[in-house]
Amino acid sequence: MKKKLFSAFAIIMMLATAGCSSDNNSKKVESIDDLPGATIGVQLGTTGDIYASDYEAPEYGSTVERFNKITDAVQALKQGKVDCVIADEQPAIASIETESGLAILDEPFALEDYAIVIAKDNDALLSDINVALAELQEDGTVDNIIANYIGDETKGQYPYVTPDGTTYENGTLVVATNAAFKPYEFYDGSEIVGIDIDIIRAIGDKLHMEIEIEDMEFDSIINAVSSHKADVGIAGMTMTEERAKSINFSSSYVTSKQVMIVKGNNASASNLSFVEKLKQNFVDNDRWIYILTGLKNTLIIALLAVILGVIIGFLVAVVRVSHDKTGILPVLNALCKVYLTIIRGTPAMIQLLIIYYVVFQSVNVSKILVAVIAFAINSGAYVAEIMRGGIMSVDGGQTEAGRSLGLSYKQTMIYIILPQAVKNVLPALANEFITLIKETSICGYIGLMDLTRGGDIIRSQTYEAFLPLIAVALIYLIIVEILTVLVGKWEKSLRKSER
Amino acid sequence: MSGNVNDQILIEVKNLSKSFDDNSVLENVNLQIKKGEVVAIIGPSGCGKSTFIRTLNQLEKVSGGNIYLDGEDITAKDANINDIRRRVGMVFQHFNLFPHLTIGQNLTLAPVKLGIMSKKEADDKACELLKRVGLLDKKDAYPDSLSGGQKQRIAIARSLAMNPEVMLFDEPTSALDPEMVGEVLSLMKELADDGMTMAVVTHEMRFAREVADRVLFFDEKGIKEEGTPEEIFENPKSDRLKEFLSKVL
Repeated sequence: MKKKLFSAFAIIMMLATAGCSSDNNSKKVESIDDLPGATIGVQLGTTGDIYASDYEAPEYGSTVERFNKITDAVQALKQGKVDCVIADEQPAIASIETESGLAILDEPFALEDYAIVIAKDNDALLSDINVALAELQEDGTVDNIIANYIGDETKGQYPYVTPDGTTYENGTLVVATNAAFKPYEFYDGSEIVGIDIDIIRAIGDKLHMEIEIEDMEFDSIINAVSSHKADVGIAGMTMTEERAKSINFSSSYVTSKQVMIVKGNNASASNLSFVEKLKQNFVDNDRWIYILTGLKNTLIIALLAVILGVIIGFLVAVVRVSHDKTGILPVLNALCKVYLTIIRGTPAMIQLLIIYYVVFQSVNVSKILVAVIAFAINSGAYVAEIMRGGIMSVDGGQTEAGRSLGLSYKQTMIYIILPQAVKNVLPALANEFITLIKETSICGYIGLMDLTRGGDIIRSQTYEAFLPLIAVALIYLIIVEILTVLVGKWEKSLRKSER
Repeated sequence: MSGNVNDQILIEVKNLSKSFDDNSVLENVNLQIKKGEVVAIIGPSGCGKSTFIRTLNQLEKVSGGNIYLDGEDITAKDANINDIRRRVGMVFQHFNLFPHLTIGQNLTLAPVKLGIMSKKEADDKACELLKRVGLLDKKDAYPDSLSGGQKQRIAIARSLAMNPEVMLFDEPTSALDPEMVGEVLSLMKELADDGMTMAVVTHEMRFAREVADRVLFFDEKGIKEEGTPEEIFENPKSDRLKEFLSKVL
């Protein structure tokens, strides 16, 4: 297994090196006038995305590449996959801090106002927040919070402190954010901090409400708020007409600039050594904890989903086979068919999002539970069809022998048919389990910190793609290898009845 | 001849008919099997003899008529089919041993799961039966390691583990290599000598002649001719039987 892992690692390294040198067809961007025809990188759903989309019209002919994180866009810029990145000023400054060879153009691309988003039907909260915000702007708290994060002289000088004697008798305010947007919201260790976070804390203190931060993808925030998964969203969210159709904005708390990040003349990758990079990505700020927490969640979700999925799959398979053979359970069989059609006909990610945002819209349940349910339902459909094939592969004489001894249909199924069916389909089942483990990597879409997400958070802090991704890939590989070995042993023990 | 026949009627078949969709296989079959009697069923392939024997434990549902086991109508809608099958043992052409279980487990599964015997009782019974069929040393082996003849002897033992009142054999030696036919037939003969009621679909004319109390010749959707082995083999009446015997003897 060691040898296998090593060779896999070597292949990944080769691919990574190959990927770095694809610097063709690039266009030099030095001002806004150069944007037509250029490839523009943005973060999906940001105002940068909205502005850049205008350049996709045929008369401009630009291409827009949309990334989940601003750091991914910056990585793409470094590797020459995009010609420039349009982003909010402060995150842009933060993201090129550690990168030599990138620059921000002096002329701003656009000016914009950030505001808090609140659900359309929640006018009471909206006016409360506006009143609190006005007071905080009046007494200079907002200015201090911003100065605490921006400005070389003022940085760290004015940390926000909750006023003495603040009580939280008004419950909890659930806040949706996307903690990959320095300095507005970002991870410091395992904690999410930033301008937006301090501002919403200050507002929470005013409203006597405890703050609970939910980290999710930027483009999920408005959904989360309008479906009441979160009470408010604060994530450097620019007030736009389009967004105002589905959500209410508070008054603005800060004005920011959209800027363009481009490649400087001496563009080169950062020159840290491999060991330094290793330390930066996993040791500094205890970043390995992200991987560990993510791994724990991934394992919990995968394990529970496999168990539940197998139970669902067995039941559905037995219903289907029993109906096909004897014509019993017609209604249940029809339901099972609908289930199989829907689950196998739609992507797992969409199912996960639907279960989180639609099915559990008004219920506050643990995200891990949501993920377990989603993946169990998904996997159950595949297990069901695998098992159905397995049951049908068992010779009909086995059922006759069981029944002729006086065993009931159910007993024959449980003691005679299913054990043989499982043995026949074990390789296919193992394959399904492997797929399921890797499929859990989409958990990040509901803001659940799984292994992949853990790596993503490190990437968003270190602006380094290679090491976190490879580390995560290797861990998945090891999990799958362990599973493969275990299933192999199980298979062997089941085969002892064969010559 | 087993010589154990008494007057009690164990199985009675009245006006039985069976068809698959529109294809009629059996029409108006009537038969009585007495306790301790050994009935051999012979006939050309496709004559419905296998279908007939499978109706006797309701592996095939009948299309018309009734079958009584010890006076109880097993074709009735409210008949307890699982209970009836416990009393009627069945041995198949292809043995149908459970390949994922050891020989011992093949014998104890049904008695234990059905709550008829404790694990210990079933184990003892299994040992006794395995001894009787001469395969006690295979108790912990799996079916795949056995020869065809051994498998069929185990299948017979598995049926006997349920203490059945009657045993049905559906071409029990047809799938065996010729040199293994003897061991199975001699076991069946022992059973017959011990007084077991048996119905045997077979192509082994010697077995039918030497062991059976009565021979049924199935042809054209029912019993064409029946009688003692002497009557059937020495003095066949119908041309169909004569023709059949000339081919197989």
